[in-house]
Amino acid sequence: MTVAVMKTKAEQSFAEGFNEMRATLPGSAAVREAREGAARRFEELGLPHRRIEEWKYTDLRSAVKEALPARSGDKLAMTIADVIVAIGPLAQIDAHRIVFVNGAHRPDLSTPGSLAGLEVESLASTLEDAQATEFALSGFAGQDSNAVLALNTAYMSDGAIVRVHAEAELEKPLLLVNIRAGAQPCFAAVRNVLEVGAKASARIVEAFVSLPGAAGDGQINTATQINVGDEARLTHVKIAADDGSGVTHLANWFARLGKACEYRGFQLTQGVNLARNQIQVAFDGEDAKLDLSGVFLGRGTDHVDTTLVVDHAVPSCESRELFKGVLDGHSRGIFQGKIIVQAVAQKTDGKQMSQALLLSPDAEFDSKPELEIFADDVVCGHGATCAELDKDLMFYCQSRGIPTDVARVLLIESFIGEAVALVEDEAINEALMGFARDWLSK
Amino acid sequence: MPAVGSTIEQVKEIDVDKYKYGFETNIESVRAPKGLDEDTIRYISARKDEPAWMLEWRLDAYERWKTMQEPTWARVHYPRIDFQDLYYYSAPKSTEGPKSLDEVDPELLATYAKLGIPLNEQAVLAGVQGARVAVDAVFDSVSVVTTFKDELKKAGVIFCSISEAVRNHPELVKKYLGSVVPKSDNFYASLNSAVFSDGSFVYIPEGVRCPMELSTYFRINDMQTGQFERTLIIADKGSYVSYLEGCTAPMRDQNQLHAAVVELVALEDAEIKYSTVQNWYPGDKEGKGGIYNFVTKRGDCRGDNSKISWTQVETGSAITWKYPSCILRGDNSRGEFYSIAISNGYQQVDSGTKMIHLGKNTSSRIISKGIAAGHSDNTYRGLVSAHRKATNARNFTQCDSLLIGNKCGAHTVPYIEAKTSTAHFEHEATTSKISDDKLFYCMQRGLSEEEAVTLIVNGFVRDVLQQLPMEFMAETQKLIGISLEGSVG
Repeated sequence: MTVAVMKTKAEQSFAEGFNEMRATLPGSAAVREAREGAARRFEELGLPHRRIEEWKYTDLRSAVKEALPARSGDKLAMTIADVIVAIGPLAQIDAHRIVFVNGAHRPDLSTPGSLAGLEVESLASTLEDAQATEFALSGFAGQDSNAVLALNTAYMSDGAIVRVHAEAELEKPLLLVNIRAGAQPCFAAVRNVLEVGAKASARIVEAFVSLPGAAGDGQINTATQINVGDEARLTHVKIAADDGSGVTHLANWFARLGKACEYRGFQLTQGVNLARNQIQVAFDGEDAKLDLSGVFLGRGTDHVDTTLVVDHAVPSCESRELFKGVLDGHSRGIFQGKIIVQAVAQKTDGKQMSQALLLSPDAEFDSKPELEIFADDVVCGHGATCAELDKDLMFYCQSRGIPTDVARVLLIESFIGEAVALVEDEAINEALMGFARDWLSK
Repeated sequence: MPAVGSTIEQVKEIDVDKYKYGFETNIESVRAPKGLDEDTIRYISARKDEPAWMLEWRLDAYERWKTMQEPTWARVHYPRIDFQDLYYYSAPKSTEGPKSLDEVDPELLATYAKLGIPLNEQAVLAGVQGARVAVDAVFDSVSVVTTFKDELKKAGVIFCSISEAVRNHPELVKKYLGSVVPKSDNFYASLNSAVFSDGSFVYIPEGVRCPMELSTYFRINDMQTGQFERTLIIADKGSYVSYLEGCTAPMRDQNQLHAAVVELVALEDAEIKYSTVQNWYPGDKEGKGGIYNFVTKRGDCRGDNSKISWTQVETGSAITWKYPSCILRGDNSRGEFYSIAISNGYQQVDSGTKMIHLGKNTSSRIISKGIAAGHSDNTYRGLVSAHRKATNARNFTQCDSLLIGNKCGAHTVPYIEAKTSTAHFEHEATTSKISDDKLFYCMQRGLSEEEAVTLIVNGFVRDVLQQLPMEFMAETQKLIGISLEGSVG
């Protein structure tokens, strides 16, 4: 029995919005073709809903009520001081900064000059070039059923194309800052491509923040393609820390890991009303190491979803995942993690953990840690826990004269600190904890 | 050679036509015409001499079933079943099969011997003609059954077939049938509700501790209940019952599709312990044939302080699709699920449990051990959920998988949903293979590789084995060895 599905208002306006603005979107004929293909795909797929297993807990069809218009931030009056305010704790890091406002590159707000061994270009400026287009569009193979990604491909306005040269060791972290600004609510589609050459070493932070005074509502759709070369080391952090009252943040990460590389990924999500972080990691060379972790903080009616798929397609790789959530008010946290070990991937070592702290009786945590294993010589495991703050620990703190509020913060900080510490970079760790502390103090 | 090899071969030997691909059977017995429509249901109901309300119930279930679609979410693959190409009723009349034990494949007999099954029971299991009579005559099992029935009667326990219960205890059946697994629960449960053939009915009165373990085994004359079995067990306030289903020996069965429904109701302070050992025909070496086991089992801890415990050992069937669940409705109620699922050859197992916490201070425990060998796929799929009002819900889940060989798959798909902050849920799962060190250690002490694997696997599943009733435990240990035969080397 097939039922004709009514298009929701948001689905319709996303389609209409694309028709209106497609002429103004950057890119060559090939890019336009890709955009139109993606728009058609989105129209076929519609927004994902709970009847689709991977979206069981996050029903975008009912949650996304409208499509906000895309408003480029290239003309918005902003100063570097504004950027410093917007990025908060990240300002303390001595980093090379590339700034985007509402999805548009702002060279005037970015760090001038370049770092040795690093090339950064704006996506919009390279989309005319066929080779660069191929580069920016090819990394999401097999993602045809991903409606959020289709929306990104159709609408992507800008982003960073980052190339770290082989054997280069970046001294400073690279900061890709996306600022939501302006009094008008808007939609922005950003695409970043990170290419880390063989034996190179880099630290890259993607931050999605908002300027005080920005509209309460906003929609961000971001896709990041990550390619870690053989024996390279990449620390990659994404921070979605907003202040808005109705911010939707939909993110796709797609990482390919080369031989014997080390990839450390981390995601912090807070202050976002509706977040879906979808991460896909594919092992492409033996002996690679993956360390993926994250912290999500929710309050009010926040809905934070982390969905990841780790595909062990080659032997002898190691993967570790640790995700921690703190949920207050009526917020809802979701963790779906799937580890696939293919038949050839012998000697795989995989461990996954998701933990949630429920601070209010109305908070909810749904977890679905999956294992899909076809090889026998493997060690794989996952764990999932959820509970309220340990009363014994609270009592212990209080009996030593620590007031309830302070004890609570202390315990929460130590809870999420375990995941943050996995980033193994002092300055970035400190900034991450800074964001979390800001959230806790609100 | 895939394991359960011996079993497969032997069962095939006895009755090769019965296990051919498809659903053709050639029993010469009284049966309803092929296909399913209202008339088939009326026929079944009439054959069973059922009251009008029962027929209405069945027809209503059928109406609902017609609007439903076959579920496809489980990780199992099989050719589409043509539900109009099946027989839905066939009077259990066993006129085919070997004439005596001498005609039975010696290898099958060897398997029985390994399991330590007495000769008379072997005959029944292998489907020897007239075996029941022989059992009755030679081993006087009638008297055993009679003594057993007397004792139950004294305690006030009702233990009979569901058809008898429909006739003799309509008030109980009306009250509880379909109250745990509603008619429209799922595709197979609805099908079962429309055409269920027979099954067990148990009622334990208030405050009674059932004097013995109840077992389908004791109802040996009722054993051929057909493919749509329906079981209903009610434990009234403060009562206790332990129920055993199935047996460790490979069962000969002429039906390829089994869609059973089991409903358990535990009222205040009552406890039900339900143990299953399932060892049906798993299909041949190429994965052809074998039983499709699509079962809906659910227990309802309706009263406060009640407890339901499921223990299952799944070694047979080509496809298993089974999630014995507990609805923890009463305050302080408790649900338990202990499972061993062994798959070998081309078997596909998608099994697990659901623990639905609704009452206050409810607790549940899940221990699942999956062992995959050969070309099989073994999936644990489970749900633990705590409702907003289920304060202090507790769950501990452990699901471990063991892989033997690199052609098989082990999967874990747990859903954990906590809607209250006072819920404490812990879940852990591991997958590994038998370590070479352990194997070497055992073999160094003179065990063959196969014996060593059996020993290690038995250690792996120990937590669950201990939950089985005593007599089952010993047999199950042997069964594990047999099921894994041929999976190493």
